[in-house]
Order: sequence, then C-alpha cells, then structure tokens
Amino acid sequence: MIKVQKRTALQIMSATVHALLMRELKTRFGANRLGYFWAIAEPVAQASVMALIFTLLGRTSVSGIPIALFLFTGILPFKFFSKLIPQIGAAVNANKALFTYRQVTAIDPIITRVLIETVTFIVVYVLILGTMAWLGFEVLPDDLLALLAACFILLTMAVGIGLLLCCAITYWPDATKLFAMIMSPMFFISGILYCATMIPEQYWYLFSWNPIFHLIELSRDAFFVSYTTPIGDWYFVSFVALTSIALGLMAFRINRQRFIN
Amino acid sequence: MIHFDNVSKYYATKQGRHYVLKNVNLALPTDRNIAVLGPNGVGKSTLIRMLGGADFPSKGEITSEQKISWPLGLQGGLQGTMSARENVRFVARIHGYKNTKPIEQLVADFAEIGKFFNEPVKTYSSGMKARVAFGLTMAFDFDFDVLLIDELGAVGDANFRHKSEALLKEKYEKTKLIMVSHSMGELRKNCQAGLVIINQNLKYHADIESAIKEYNEHYVTTN
Repeated sequence: MIKVQKRTALQIMSATVHALLMRELKTRFGANRLGYFWAIAEPVAQASVMALIFTLLGRTSVSGIPIALFLFTGILPFKFFSKLIPQIGAAVNANKALFTYRQVTAIDPIITRVLIETVTFIVVYVLILGTMAWLGFEVLPDDLLALLAACFILLTMAVGIGLLLCCAITYWPDATKLFAMIMSPMFFISGILYCATMIPEQYWYLFSWNPIFHLIELSRDAFFVSYTTPIGDWYFVSFVALTSIALGLMAFRINRQRFIN
Repeated sequence: MIHFDNVSKYYATKQGRHYVLKNVNLALPTDRNIAVLGPNGVGKSTLIRMLGGADFPSKGEITSEQKISWPLGLQGGLQGTMSARENVRFVARIHGYKNTKPIEQLVADFAEIGKFFNEPVKTYSSGMKARVAFGLTMAFDFDFDVLLIDELGAVGDANFRHKSEALLKEKYEKTKLIMVSHSMGELRKNCQAGLVIINQNLKYHADIESAIKEYNEHYVTTN
C-alpha cells in the first residue's frame, strides 16, 4: 500500500475540493447526466417563449439587437445569480456528514458549488452564443473585457449574498423560502425583458436602486455596439459587490461553529 | 500524548450555556488503549469528535503530534445520499489517493454487504453502516497512531465482531484505541486505561478497573 505523505494545506484543500466536485456533479447533473441537458434547455426554453411572445407582439429587435440575443444577455446572468445563491445557501447542510473528516471544512463545499455553477454558466453562455452564430446571428461581444467584468461583479455579489443566506439558514431554515419569494419579482424588475432606454426617464429612479438591473444594463452595454446604457454605474455595482462579499465572509467566519453541529 | 489546554466546550441551549467540558487541562498518553466512560448525554461523543477534528472546543486547544483518525461511529462519517462506494471514494480522494479502485475493493471485501455497497447509505441498517465505517479505516494503511471508536461494536453480528477484533489485534502494535462503549466487557477486553467524564471534567485512570469503579460509584445507582 502507498503511504500518505505530508501534504501542504493547499494540497489538502484542492484534494478535498476535487473530491467534493466529483460528488456534487453527480447530484447536480444527476446520475444519468440528464442535468447537463436541462442546464442548457431551461434558459433556451425561457428565452424562446419570451422571444416568441415579443415577436407576436410585433417586436423583433431592440435598438437593432435581435430579440433572442437581447433576451439571452439578460436571462443567463439572472439565472446564474438566482441559482448560485440558494446553491451556496444549501451547500453546508448537504455535506454535513462529511465534516467528520478533519480535511473537510465548511468553506470547501461552498468553493465547490461556486466552481460548478460558474463553469456551467460560462459553458451554457458560450454554447448558446455558438449555436446562434451558427444560425447566422452576429454574436461577438463588442467589449469582452467589460462583459467579463460585469459577470465577475455579479459573481462576487452572489457569493456574498449566498454566504449570508448560508448563515441565516442556521438560525432560521425558512430563509431559503424568503429568498425565493424575493427573487421571483426580481425577474421582472431587473431589466431582463427590457432595457433602460425603453423606460421613461422620470421613472428611472424606480429601477436605479437595483444592482442586478445595473449589471444587466452594463453587460448589454458591453455586448452591443448599438446600445449605450443611461443608468448602469460601475461604481455602484462594485460597491454593492464588495460590501456583500465582505459581510458574507465575516458572517461566515463568525458563525463557523454553527455549521458543524 | 494528546494535550488538553484549558479546554471548554459548551452548547447554546434555551436555558443558557450547557457545559460539556469546563477548563480541562490534561495530558492523555497515546501508548495504551483508553476507554471513555460516562452515562448518556455526558459528552463522550463530543469528546471523541473533538479529538478527531470533527468538532472544536469552544475555548482552549487540543493538540497532538500523533496521527489521530476521524471518529468512527454510526452518526456522521458516511453521507446518506451517497453509496458506500462513493463514500469510500470520497475519503480516499481527500487523503490524496488518485487511484481509488483498490481501496474500494478492499472495503467492499471487508464489509461483505453485497450489492448494497452501491446503494445509498441511508438505506442501510446500523450493522451494515458499522461494517462500512470500520472497513473504511482498515482498508487504508493510514498508520494512525490513535483510532477513535464511538460505539461501533454494539451493532455488529458475531461474524463482523470476530473479523474486526482480528483486524484490531493485528494493528495493536502500532495503533492504539480511544473507544466509547457501554459494554464493560468490551472495554475490559480492549483497553488498559480509562477516562471518566465527571462534573464537566476528565478523570484519567491508568488502570481500567479503577476507572470502571469510579464510574460505578459516581453514576450507577443500584436498588
């Protein structure tokens, strides 16, 4: 038998995250891998239905952008956000029995789930754009760096809120339900089906508090040459993201004892 | 040696803090097998979990140079939604093994639970869980200095007991035990020393008989 050598903390952590990754992929995508199909089918179906409704209403493009592409650039980041947070929130409870091993700590399943959701998001995004390019759409982002920055800020914000949710669940298990209740109207007020230029200027204040609205505006601004957002503010979203990740990490650290019992 | 440096452990309850251990200072030898004695709810499992790094003291520190196993018991350790094979694979991976197949085979051979090895652990009986939990530590050659056992023997059938005892004997030279059990016979057979939990403190006895005597005097009421 092979002997176990002394490993560094980083080696132990990456081995643990790898082991958790293998375990989580099975539950996330199902033993028969049907989950990979749903990960793509779900946003596609949603965008298609919306695009169909818009087309039937007589709208085929928004500031020169084909409606389907316009919808995807809103739906995909929003889905990522609203999926990642409850995934992080439930990460600790779903792996509790494994904390028996001293190598596994509460942050490991969280890192694992963030990795899975982020990679899934990127793969689905690229696959959908690739398919649309094949169908003849113009899909290359105008400013890729700004698009990536918007996604990164969204990720940071989601991780922060997810960590807070994870802590909240240890005090009050129904916190997930409250979060789901908040997220369902968010779909309609976060500028997924419309953009700021379609709203009369005097009503902007109704939307400008919402960091997700800002992020979707900014990512569309980055994506399309023909669209310039009148609202999207990098400073505001960065501030919200930094605040949420800082609060999330602090709460997680303070509550670390609660996760093991 | 395992050093307890001013260790306190409490749980927050509705009636305030419930102390399991309070300001414990102790050096526990690791050159002999130690039985942990105490009635239900006094904190034996908590102690074992803290020794195994699955739980942490509220205050103070437990330190040791020795390689201590994870707590082998019926609660925890095996994730119910995963099969025994997946659990074994997981444990092998977190210990840095790349090729997990031979280890899976060893545990499967030891556990002898047949096709259930590939079914979720939550469908197992406690005896089957014990077989897998025990096989898991034994299949790896971790060279643990100390093996933590939390009431694992009680649920096994004769065949399993026989097998696990033989295996433990084989490892006695290198691996010492810290074990929790309510069967005094089992403790007498396996352990030389005893640790009694009394008044939120740990009392070490170099002789198992004197530990059992103190336990009986303090906790057992005969009428």
